[in-house]
Amino acid sequence: MNNHDASPLLLVEHVSKSFGGVQALRDGSFDLNRGEVLAIVGGNGAGKSTLIKVVAGAHVPDGGRIVIKGREVLRSEHSVSHMQARGIEVVYQDLALVPNMTAPYNLFLGRIPKKWGIFVDERAMREKTRDVLAKLNVTTVQDLSQPISSMSGGQQQSIAIGRAIAWGSDIVILDEPTAALGPNETAEVERLVEDVRDQHGTSFILISHNLDQVRRLADRILVTHHGVTSREFKRDEITSDRLVKAITLGE
Amino acid sequence: MTDTSAALPLLTPKRAELLRDYVPFIAIALVILLFWAISGDRFMSMRNWTFIAQQTPVLMLLAFAQLMIVTTGSIDISIGSSLAFSSFLGALGMLWFGDAGLIVGIFAGGLVGMTNGLIISLLKIPSFVTTLAVLIIVRAVVIIVSDGTAIYITDDSVSGGTNISSVAAPWLLSMGKFPAIFILAAIVALFMWAFYEKTVFGQQLRAVGGNEKVLRLVGINVTTFKIKVFAAAGLMVGLAACVNLARAGAATPQAGLMIELDAIAAVALGGTPLTGGYGSVVKTIIGALTLTIVRNGLTIAGVPPSWSQVALGVLLIAAIAISLNRSKVDVVK
Ligand SMILES: Nc1ncnc2c1ncn2[C@@H]1O[C@H](COP(=O)(O)OP(=O)(O)OP(=O)(O)O)[C@@H](O)[C@H]1O
Ligand SMILES: [Mg+2]
Repeated sequence: MNNHDASPLLLVEHVSKSFGGVQALRDGSFDLNRGEVLAIVGGNGAGKSTLIKVVAGAHVPDGGRIVIKGREVLRSEHSVSHMQARGIEVVYQDLALVPNMTAPYNLFLGRIPKKWGIFVDERAMREKTRDVLAKLNVTTVQDLSQPISSMSGGQQQSIAIGRAIAWGSDIVILDEPTAALGPNETAEVERLVEDVRDQHGTSFILISHNLDQVRRLADRILVTHHGVTSREFKRDEITSDRLVKAITLGE
Repeated sequence: MTDTSAALPLLTPKRAELLRDYVPFIAIALVILLFWAISGDRFMSMRNWTFIAQQTPVLMLLAFAQLMIVTTGSIDISIGSSLAFSSFLGALGMLWFGDAGLIVGIFAGGLVGMTNGLIISLLKIPSFVTTLAVLIIVRAVVIIVSDGTAIYITDDSVSGGTNISSVAAPWLLSMGKFPAIFILAAIVALFMWAFYEKTVFGQQLRAVGGNEKVLRLVGINVTTFKIKVFAAAGLMVGLAACVNLARAGAATPQAGLMIELDAIAAVALGGTPLTGGYGSVVKTIIGALTLTIVRNGLTIAGVPPSWSQVALGVLLIAAIAISLNRSKVDVVK
């Protein structure tokens, strides 16, 4: 699969972003290869969410560059829809789904299929939803006419991840996907990530405060400290001690 | 926040949920039975129901406009003023351009709605404050432009040098009577149902009411969408204004005074939470009908108007108290 060994799937170099006076992100740099799980860790306010929002197109960076499959993203084209078209999808912390809408609607968020120009093609949506849920081996979601707020946190997160992979994206970004979940549901989501990676070769960027989870899932771990991606560890060179030190001290 | 289902073993949560869904239908049935019992044939007559069928459409169309906006989590209290403004411009349009000029009234409503939407979205002023200001301004504009006088719709042209403005449009007057007004209302209701329940636009109304931040993150332009929503609701108010012109036979500066409250009440009686995200066209029609029936029934029963307002207020609170699922409401504002 790796014909382009020279250029990674995604390359982020010295990206920065401030909001008014706050420099949320000073220097974000990393790369990501196909089928890889990259974890981003760091304390509260370290700039993790800002970094992935830039990568997702939601924020235009002040400086730095992003290269996807060897082609740089121009400032003028930096937008959510552009990044989606280039294969990047995000499951945002707390903001992935619309709670009062059904699973199919959420899966198709921003891409509702139309009939006769203005009507919702409900059948196409339901069929594709069943398809995606089957592909993910999610069997617990049965009633597709219920608002997702009536589902469990794990089911909701499955739908959010399903939404991210349903459109054939190469890179799925997960911002604290299990922060609000219990142990069983966390295991369910972790299984989903591994399945999707193994079966579809999808790459993941995982932001998490759960260091055990990070060590279970990630191939590499990127530490963010005061808006700088300061260190990177390979899976087998990580101990919890070293991670905690890196997160709290930037070392 | 005690769980009432514990006190009433028959009312399991599942049944309570179902019951809540049917509150608007149960309410209207009870109201009809009540007034039938009180006033007998004077209420349950063909003549009275014809009257109700004539009275409901304007309120129903205004409730449709309000439903679109409330579903997104906003509110529009300017629709009464907009109704007067649009009726007046509709009548003026007919004076200037003949019968087809009535359409000016519809666009006038759309213009007021779009203005609301632009102020709310671009200046980021909450819809309540924006539409309150527009309510005051537009009503004043109507009074200034009309100079306090009305434009009448007549059966044939008033001859001789009166300085009363009037338009001869017998067709419009007959549109304001049963059965034409009823048929028109039914057709609009059918379109509204398809629009609200089946179109991408209609679904997006609910999604914006559910969580507009999520929509922004997936790249949907919520700002332009909201402007379109207020403009669409405005067009509906404009249509209601034209129906009102047909019904009342005149465009008066006082038209639609306080009717925004009736429209909001009809939406709420239809079980729509004013916090947005949910709604139903059928139940909104039931809500508008209930409001009209209660007002009509109380009048027939000889209740003085002030007391009937009190009764309406009580009904509104009772209906919402029963239909609201408190376990799903975290914050009451
Ligand atoms: N839209 C914004 N406007 C202003 N300041 C912001 C904005 N977004 C983030 N910030 C600030 O930038 C800094 C980094 O925030 P960010 O959300 O990226 O941190 P994080 O690493 O994701 O933290 P957490 O672990 O708490 O989610 C914080 O100080 C935050 O207050
Ligand atoms: Mg964050």
